[in-house]
Amino acid sequence: MATLSSLSLVAPRAMPNVPDSKNGGPVKAAYLNQPWKRVSQMGSRRVQVIRPVRAAPDRISEMVEKSIKEAKEACSDDSVSGECAAAWDEVEELSAAASHAKDKNKDSDPLENYCKDNPETDECRTYDN
Amino acid sequence: MAVSTLYTPQALNSTCSISTPAKSHVGFHQKQLVFYRRTSKRVGGGGGSAVITCSAGDSQTVVIGLAADSGCGKSTFMRRLTSVFGGAAEPPKGGNPDSNTLISDMTTVICLDDYHSLDRTGRKEKGVTALDPRANDFDLMYEQVKALKSGVAVDKPIYNHVTGLLDPPELIKPPKILVIEGLHPMFDDRVRDLLDFSIYLDISNEVKFAWKIQRDMAERGHSLESIKASIEARKPDFDAYIDPQKQYADAVIEVLPTQLIPDDNEGKVLRVRLIMKEGVENFSPVYLFDEGSTISWIPCGRKLTCSYPGIKFHYGPDTYFGNEVSILEMDGQFDRLDELIYVESHLSNISTKFYGEVTQQMLKHADFPGSNNGTGLFQTIVGLKIRDLYEQLTSSKAAAPLEARKA
Repeated sequence: MATLSSLSLVAPRAMPNVPDSKNGGPVKAAYLNQPWKRVSQMGSRRVQVIRPVRAAPDRISEMVEKSIKEAKEACSDDSVSGECAAAWDEVEELSAAASHAKDKNKDSDPLENYCKDNPETDECRTYDN
Repeated sequence: MAVSTLYTPQALNSTCSISTPAKSHVGFHQKQLVFYRRTSKRVGGGGGSAVITCSAGDSQTVVIGLAADSGCGKSTFMRRLTSVFGGAAEPPKGGNPDSNTLISDMTTVICLDDYHSLDRTGRKEKGVTALDPRANDFDLMYEQVKALKSGVAVDKPIYNHVTGLLDPPELIKPPKILVIEGLHPMFDDRVRDLLDFSIYLDISNEVKFAWKIQRDMAERGHSLESIKASIEARKPDFDAYIDPQKQYADAVIEVLPTQLIPDDNEGKVLRVRLIMKEGVENFSPVYLFDEGSTISWIPCGRKLTCSYPGIKFHYGPDTYFGNEVSILEMDGQFDRLDELIYVESHLSNISTKFYGEVTQQMLKHADFPGSNNGTGLFQTIVGLKIRDLYEQLTSSKAAAPLEARKA
């Protein structure tokens, strides 16, 4: 069982590396013989695969800080101009986005999120009777 | 006259019109199938078989407008509203993760920020806030809301609140209930005419300041002065363009600081007024004890014990911007479940389907802000009123063609 799972882990990562799929066997064996190579390959592969799909909340926090600084500068010359109002409006918009992002991250439970999309899997089945 | 039988597997949700001899037409729309049997017997000359054409979503989409300051889509009101209809509203799966749209089984919530004509850099260049009508494309808003209302899917632009850019459009299919939420749902009169019901959330300045402090003080870079400056800078545009929309709203939820605690500036206990316009079709205002009279009610006493500062209700007729209205007001907080159920049992015309529905809805979302005061209570009640309005509208539209068939 363990070997099967390890093979399945290695296989997809090994494939793109080896242009000739017929050499899949020996390459896998080579990884098994030199585990340090395997680890580094998997490590680099993992980094490539993971992609952030939503803006991180701290990135937005930095944007909020920056926009406040800009707004203060814009308003220092003329506090009733359109530029001043537009700058503070941007601060408001970014603050709202920051608090929404924080809320979203706060109540996202990885198991709940997974089960929402896959209710039939073993971890997510509920028995009512 | 030929006889055609009409069978529908579910409740008749579409308008069916019957026309004499034309090409046969069977429409297949979401979960609805119409079967008809056409007899080929011709009686006399002409006037042979009757043909039934059905289209789902044909002016069946109920459009609700919600005006609220800054930000939209994920706000508490929307979640409560969609929960009344059942199901949780979520962003469209597989689409832009920064989409502002929320979709559930019955409702789709569209954020009107998506109709910005100027993105963040554009607005900065022109020196215009998002509140200004010049930053919004009302023509596109009108066309797309009209299309969705008549059952046509649209490609709606996406305004990304994080980057401040206009992203590629997403497809929006016409839902049973469309909610348009944002700064200007009632600004343009063409869009206003499309709305079946409109709500305005009026937060007073003190409460707005208190809420923004709660929201932003944890942010780096923000200070009390910056929060104050932000509100002050937006105020002129807000008063000029957003605030006047409240005269057109069918229901206004006004949030004010409490009168029960002298000199309270925490903004935790709130006084909330539900201002309901009289004479709106399919909408009957909520009342306390006796409709049209003026009532002042403190439920805490012998039958109900409340903790400080207690609860105070007020109900009465009034005028609001020249319109006849009824105002239901609640000041204070709910601390226990039995306070909530006690209050609910004394309110009339709340359009619940069973006793305790308001309490159940409030408890379902006990973690939402405002769940222990008038904001949550009135938002839930407005949600039930909208459900009632939707059911009245859809049953009246289904009844009309049946009448035509009998004639």
